[in-house]
Amino acid sequence: MSADLGFWTLQALNALQLSMLLFLLSIGLTVIFGLMHFVNLAHGSLYALGAYFAASLAAVGGYWAGFFLAPVAVAGVGVLLYSGLIKRMRKSGPMAQVLVTFGLIFALLDLTRIIWGDLALAIEVPALLSGRVALLGVEYPAYRLFVIALGAAIFAALAFVLGRTQIGAMIRAGVDNDAMAACLGINVERLFFIVFCVGCALAGLAGAVAAPLLSVTPDMGLQILIPTLIVIVIGGLGSLKGAIAGSLIFGFVQTFGAVLAPQLASVLIYALLAAVLVIRPVGLFPAKG
Amino acid sequence: MFRHTPLRYAALVLLAAAALFQALTADYFGLEILTEILILAMLVLALDLVAGFGGMVSLCHGALLGVGAYGYAILTTKAGLAPPVAMGAAVAVTGIAGWIIGAVCARSHGIYFIMATLAFGQMAYSYVFEAPIFGGDDGLGGIERLDLTLIGLDLNDSRSFVFFCLAVLGAIYAACVLILNSGLGRSFCGVRHNEQRMRALGLTVWRVKADVFGLSGMIAGLAGVLAAQHTMYISPGLLSWTVSGEALVVVILGGLGTLVGPLVGAAAFVMLKHELSALTSYWHLVVGCLLIAVVMSRANGIFGWIEARWGARLERRLADTTRKPDPEEVMSDA
Repeated sequence: MSADLGFWTLQALNALQLSMLLFLLSIGLTVIFGLMHFVNLAHGSLYALGAYFAASLAAVGGYWAGFFLAPVAVAGVGVLLYSGLIKRMRKSGPMAQVLVTFGLIFALLDLTRIIWGDLALAIEVPALLSGRVALLGVEYPAYRLFVIALGAAIFAALAFVLGRTQIGAMIRAGVDNDAMAACLGINVERLFFIVFCVGCALAGLAGAVAAPLLSVTPDMGLQILIPTLIVIVIGGLGSLKGAIAGSLIFGFVQTFGAVLAPQLASVLIYALLAAVLVIRPVGLFPAKG
Repeated sequence: MFRHTPLRYAALVLLAAAALFQALTADYFGLEILTEILILAMLVLALDLVAGFGGMVSLCHGALLGVGAYGYAILTTKAGLAPPVAMGAAVAVTGIAGWIIGAVCARSHGIYFIMATLAFGQMAYSYVFEAPIFGGDDGLGGIERLDLTLIGLDLNDSRSFVFFCLAVLGAIYAACVLILNSGLGRSFCGVRHNEQRMRALGLTVWRVKADVFGLSGMIAGLAGVLAAQHTMYISPGLLSWTVSGEALVVVILGGLGTLVGPLVGAAAFVMLKHELSALTSYWHLVVGCLLIAVVMSRANGIFGWIEARWGARLERRLADTTRKPDPEEVMSDA
């Protein structure tokens, strides 16, 4: 029975680790959508870029150089995208945005292939986190625990910034009613820009964190995109609560589904999404009631 | 509402003539490309029917195509049905699948509709990918083509198969025009313009949406059946969301809501793809940049641009005052 319990603990930790990775990605996407009503399908490509930057930087300056600098580099790419494309696409309908960012996916996919080649890259887990840790009766890789802790820390930091600081209040006001916020003297444009860059940086961070766990390939952005979209649609667009709830639901359904009903696992999550959309078309915790 | 302008007739005649010329003169490789164009054209007509005229921007049409293809493959290879019966059954199954998806998603709008259809498409994809009966990621092979020797056509010959596809595409185009000009099609266009008003007029909006989506699904299913017959081998990649995305790209490059435009788009897309992949393996980069340029230019694709440029002049000369929806309106409505 104790072995059984250990097995479930292990699965729960796996689910938690997947959830946290998805949370890092979906929070950027969801707040960008909530604030700017902009659907950025290229968010997954930014995550892939983050992984590639991390791989290149890790080869030069070790893992931590990649970990800290990759998000900065991806935020830089975000600045370019924002001033080049996204600023002009803000007022268009969702279909035009979906298409432009779909074009960006194509373009970024091939750019990564041109720069880094088709072969998968790998990063070593840093020495500090390479061991295993005994936790709740199971041995668990320290690096995966680090991912969980990082996700929780980012969640706590974002909850604090959004809920307790002035800039958080401004962002919430912008999500709720951007015209009114602008009338009250908030520079909504600049706010958009900052949020977009932070979202990009978080996507880059997710890429850098995921790089040692998965292999770094050009299509990793496409693979993560659908789960991320599912997370934000289940959770409800634009809210921190929705992103964390959606990530946890996805992580646990996916992991435990694979254990309990392997044939149905992949269909299960899509069925759940369809059910959420039918019953609550705006998701579980939408930013606007 | 859909209307044939002189420009559209001219484009149709030109396209048909080009396809016939190619079908009569091309070598094997040219015929294969032409078949690919024709099958893609069927899929994008199905997508244009719902996206261009009803604002239902679907990201599950690739999956519907796959349902048709797999339905046909399973019914002929595993259940041993005769190809014509299997074709009919596969198209019917895809139509029902489309109807259900349309009915479930009818309440969603904008980005939620896109996401919901994406979810259904991915559901089908991952089911086919994992289920052993569908051959998993190995796919299914040994698919027969339709036997038309009764009327003297051997479809195993690629030239005959091209003519068959051309005939089917012509029939599908005619069916789309008929659907759009029927009461159902007019209600469907009305729903896009003002859903509330249509509801106030006593229309069951979700039924209209589901019906047209089901018809569109049947067309996509037929395209899938022909795709399966063309390659005689199918894999789950057919259902992947990138196929739906590409179909949407083709509709946009060609001209949303024009029916003729997507045909132009399909021809341009497949030829561009083959020309570019001969030159470089990074053809996605070019297509991506082209797509961004087309959407940002705010023209309604290649054909929409031609219509805006020359259509108006022709129109004025023929003194026809019926108004066309402008591309801006169509783009912002979805």
